[in-house]
Amino acid sequence: MNETVLVLTLAAAVSAGTPLALAALGALLSERAGVLNLGIEGIMLVGAVTAFLAADASGSPLVGLAAGVLAGAAFTSIHAFLSVTMRANQIVSGLALVIFGTGIATFLGQSIEGRPLAARLPRTSIVGLADLPVLGRVLFSQDVVVYGTWVVIVLAALYLTRTRTGLALRSVGESPATADAVGIRVAAMRYAHVIIGGGFAGAGGAYVILARVPAWAQAGTTNGIGWIAIALVVFASWRPLRALAGAYLFGAALRANFALQAAGITAIPAEFLAMLPYVLTIVVLMVLSATDTRSRLGAPAALGAPFVRDER
Amino acid sequence: MTGWLGRLRLEKRNAPGTGVLLLVPLVSVVAALLFGAVFLSLIGLAPVAVYREMLRVSYTTGYGVADTLVSATPLILTGLAAAIAFRFKLYNIGGEGQLYVGAIAASGAALAFGDRLTGPAAILLVIVAGALGGAVWIAVPALAKAWLGTSEIITSLLLNYVALFLMQYLIFGARTFWRDPESATFPQGARIPDATRLPTLGTTRVNLGLIVAVLAAVVLYLLLTRTRIGYRWRVFGDAPAAARYAGIPSRQVIVVVLLLSGALAGLAGATEVAGRAGRLDPTGLALNIGYNGIIVAALARYNPLAVIPVGLLLGGVLNAGPALQTLPGARVPVAISTMLTGAILLFALAGELFVRYRIRMRDPADVEQLAEQATTAVASPRAATGPEAEA
Repeated sequence: MNETVLVLTLAAAVSAGTPLALAALGALLSERAGVLNLGIEGIMLVGAVTAFLAADASGSPLVGLAAGVLAGAAFTSIHAFLSVTMRANQIVSGLALVIFGTGIATFLGQSIEGRPLAARLPRTSIVGLADLPVLGRVLFSQDVVVYGTWVVIVLAALYLTRTRTGLALRSVGESPATADAVGIRVAAMRYAHVIIGGGFAGAGGAYVILARVPAWAQAGTTNGIGWIAIALVVFASWRPLRALAGAYLFGAALRANFALQAAGITAIPAEFLAMLPYVLTIVVLMVLSATDTRSRLGAPAALGAPFVRDER
Repeated sequence: MTGWLGRLRLEKRNAPGTGVLLLVPLVSVVAALLFGAVFLSLIGLAPVAVYREMLRVSYTTGYGVADTLVSATPLILTGLAAAIAFRFKLYNIGGEGQLYVGAIAASGAALAFGDRLTGPAAILLVIVAGALGGAVWIAVPALAKAWLGTSEIITSLLLNYVALFLMQYLIFGARTFWRDPESATFPQGARIPDATRLPTLGTTRVNLGLIVAVLAAVVLYLLLTRTRIGYRWRVFGDAPAAARYAGIPSRQVIVVVLLLSGALAGLAGATEVAGRAGRLDPTGLALNIGYNGIIVAALARYNPLAVIPVGLLLGGVLNAGPALQTLPGARVPVAISTMLTGAILLFALAGELFVRYRIRMRDPADVEQLAEQATTAVASPRAATGPEAEA
């Protein structure tokens, strides 16, 4: 593999990792509040189809992005309502969101199936930094969403560790009864973070259609990266900065088949290379659980459990 | 907390009545149809006309009913796969992949040995191969769950994509054993020998798979409710701590339940190959039968017997989407089925609250008393909910 291929692959890995990072941040915020959101894949699809339609109608990719965020947040409010107010099984509710979201996205996307999007995100190089050798091409000749992702990830990390609300959020995820006793509004915190998390997942889906895939391909547009994002949260021990690093790592795995093909390795069929990121995720999850206990990994203690004040 | 809303109180039910158990799914279906009507209107279609067509293609004509039964067959099996796992809090959401691998194994076995067998032996071969294929596909998540504590949710799900790529490779990617060597331009699976096809019932297209599915449901129901094994599994699912004290080997339960779940999904794949398609058919299999099985199981509240009627109901909804495409001038998106089934599940989940809780109005006098307590006990806000509120 020569140097140009390597640099281009790394640049592509950063771009491919961006929707993963955004979606993982969405899942992470929700899980920090104690609500497991398995619906990420469905939310991303809803965000993606809305972004396509809005960007196509307005001619502006940023309008598409905004629409994707709003649609993702609005759609996720279903999950917030079911898991917080209706005390539903969060696992089943998340799955329902995936199925329902896939249904909505393919229903609305039927007329645009196979159509490429004209209003794609343009490349915006950062003046000065883009001229750096290697790094300039890999990190600083990307688009605004890539840079924006760094900003929101850093802000989220600071929010979780350095602010009062962030502390309150963590207490809601760890011990909602205690949080409730000190006057934190558990239900409101959960609603807010599940829905905002949905906005990030919607942004991830929007980015997929605005910058990654060449055309709308129904459920194949996101092709399971929402699930990889959920696995990333475990991989990142529920920490935003680690989620970003993990997202780029998995972004590289998602791009590996193209890199290997570019390097002239054709002995392995493309279908088997395409399995790689999924298999890698499974192996990573197994290694993590074999070597780390749940508490050392840092999972919020109340994850998945509805909070009911007058019930144990 | 003032007004009538503040007086609402949720009270846990000990055992939900039959009325509410039937009412929740019915209301869910109606609510989902109303919701779907909004979307249909959005794209400029008349909901009533679309729904009338759906009824016609799935429920109210002889052909329609037969098609619905054919669709329901694998759905009942994937529904059972999800029901048995979810019932014991083992979330196998890889039914889709297990179905694919079951189909691959069943068609592989039929192509390899089908010519040498006849009668029940040939049919038994495909069924067993399908079940084994599904069980193999869940084996890694099951063992990882039991011995490493790896959550089976994501591992089982991710294997769906691996199975999908595997099947695409077998049919589209290369000239494999599974691919029909005679169709060069349009790749498809090789036709399996006639002896390995499931016989149809009477003159209909409904095949033996339906009987297999119904039998599986009955056997599972008896296993769960009437046997020692079922009892131990229920203790494991409902009270893991008690199961540990009672010496129930949890690792063994996890592995056995998940393997059984995978085998049922694989069986669904076998009935698709040997019943409906007659070959390994990637496009026909990609109808989300595995994912929809989870909806069936949830609506049936993980009761194997209830999976049968729910499977028949959703089989009709799932049949309607593709069936509407074959009508002249059809403009209804195929995804209407997926959207409706997803919406039904969401409404049913919301309805679960009414199954598990009774909604009571507090006596106004009690509310005032509570409010007083709350204002006097500012230092300890928890006092307002009474001493039992300690969580």
